[in-house]
Amino acid sequence: MKRKILSVLLCAAFAVSMMSGCGSDTGADSGSNAGAQGGASSESDMAYVQDKGTLVVGITNFEPMDYKDESGEWVGFDADMARAFAESLGVEVEFVEIDWDNKVLELEGQSIDCVWNGMTLTDEVTSAMECTRAYLNNAQVVVVPSDVADQYQDTDSLSELNFAVEAGSAGEAEVSALGLNYTAVTAQADALMEVAGGTCDAAVIDSLMAAAMIGEGTSYEDLTYTVSLNSEEYGVGFRKGSDLAEELNQFFADSYADGSMQECAEKYGVQAALIEQ
Amino acid sequence: MELIAEQFPIVIQSLNIGFIQTLKLFFVTLLGAVPLGLIISFGSMSRFRPLSFLTRIIVWIIRGTPLMIQLLIIYYFPGLVLNNPIWGGGESGRFLAASVAFVFNYACYFSEIYRGGIQGVPRGQEEAGLVLGMTKSQIFFKVTLLQMIKRIVPPMSNEVITLVKDTSLARIIALQEIIWAGQAFLKGSQGISGAIWPLFFTAVYYLIFNGILTVLLGRLEKKLDYFR
Repeated sequence: MKRKILSVLLCAAFAVSMMSGCGSDTGADSGSNAGAQGGASSESDMAYVQDKGTLVVGITNFEPMDYKDESGEWVGFDADMARAFAESLGVEVEFVEIDWDNKVLELEGQSIDCVWNGMTLTDEVTSAMECTRAYLNNAQVVVVPSDVADQYQDTDSLSELNFAVEAGSAGEAEVSALGLNYTAVTAQADALMEVAGGTCDAAVIDSLMAAAMIGEGTSYEDLTYTVSLNSEEYGVGFRKGSDLAEELNQFFADSYADGSMQECAEKYGVQAALIEQ
Repeated sequence: MELIAEQFPIVIQSLNIGFIQTLKLFFVTLLGAVPLGLIISFGSMSRFRPLSFLTRIIVWIIRGTPLMIQLLIIYYFPGLVLNNPIWGGGESGRFLAASVAFVFNYACYFSEIYRGGIQGVPRGQEEAGLVLGMTKSQIFFKVTLLQMIKRIVPPMSNEVITLVKDTSLARIIALQEIIWAGQAFLKGSQGISGAIWPLFFTAVYYLIFNGILTVLLGRLEKKLDYFR
């Protein structure tokens, strides 16, 4: 009998500890819960964001779009524009580094409110997110070791090469459309490492990123980029059905009209790629 | 080489910040999972069938699925399915979610080690205790527990060292532990871009920390040598 009572007690203690665990979590965040439920049930994502008072921007460390300056502040063309946009909504901005593979999960799971990080508008992206109009041009470029670069100056010369590309990236779409041999890796940076280490012959990455990551002063001094495979455009992604995408389109148009967007682009050296709004 | 020397102080500072996250997750997991594991082991040894059955099912689920999936479920499930992002998007929410996943996961592994330790103590000792008029809890705390601790130190050391390295899995929900910090320099961070060596250098941190742990756990094992 005694044993049974002890067991029941333990069982109860177990249940209570589990529930209290959950209880304290929800308790601590009860304020934002109410907001989240409001956002999910009502149609307006904007009202949800304004209600909780912060626009959570999902980013990765991606110079010159979003990166940390010496004081640890997030800066860059995208970061500065996001800050200005949040201000126009009357909310605080919060930058959160995410795993790029999980960007749709993060959005739908409401841990972030938008993806604003030099995101190429591919079919996958536009079908999974509510995207703004394009605001910046980019290209996918082929990265090869400098000493063999002169052999690979046009698309036809690439057929013999083994490529490394980021899984799910615009670069992967390009090489598979051209029918080239490739290995998908987790990040653009890893693709470069494959080339530097000799495990792949070439990589395909964003031109803006290639400009920042290879050549002098980096670990990839022996790499260079040659052929541009396509041109593509960057946009900002919100949750499916969000009214914030339209709001941001309007904000882009306004800041293009008053010149503040161009000013910001010049600050980070991307003015040539800016798209008229 | 010169380049590395120039980058070294910046990289180390950033790796240190990442390593603090790693250590925080390590200690929180240990502090949570060591006692929780004991509770779970009691549950799985209970003679009250429904309780032991339920506990074994939980242990089966947790040990039978990858920790990486558990992290994804615990972090994203509330917002995705229940429409209630309890963890929030910030760093502290991600840490809390990772801690919960790690504590549960490791508690289940620990519980099985405890069970082995407890059941390894000869049954005759319990019977002797009962003959002497000791209560069940007296027998557990005064007779079984210390012998169990001695028995479980080697397998626990193994798990603890695995835990140090497993913390790197938390990067799947973007917890910025040391590997994340090292990888940041591949893409570019704080003026350093395209640097490969910081990622590989993180291994030195794990190696040193595990070296210290191995020495400490070895000493503990020696200290407990007086039981035979």
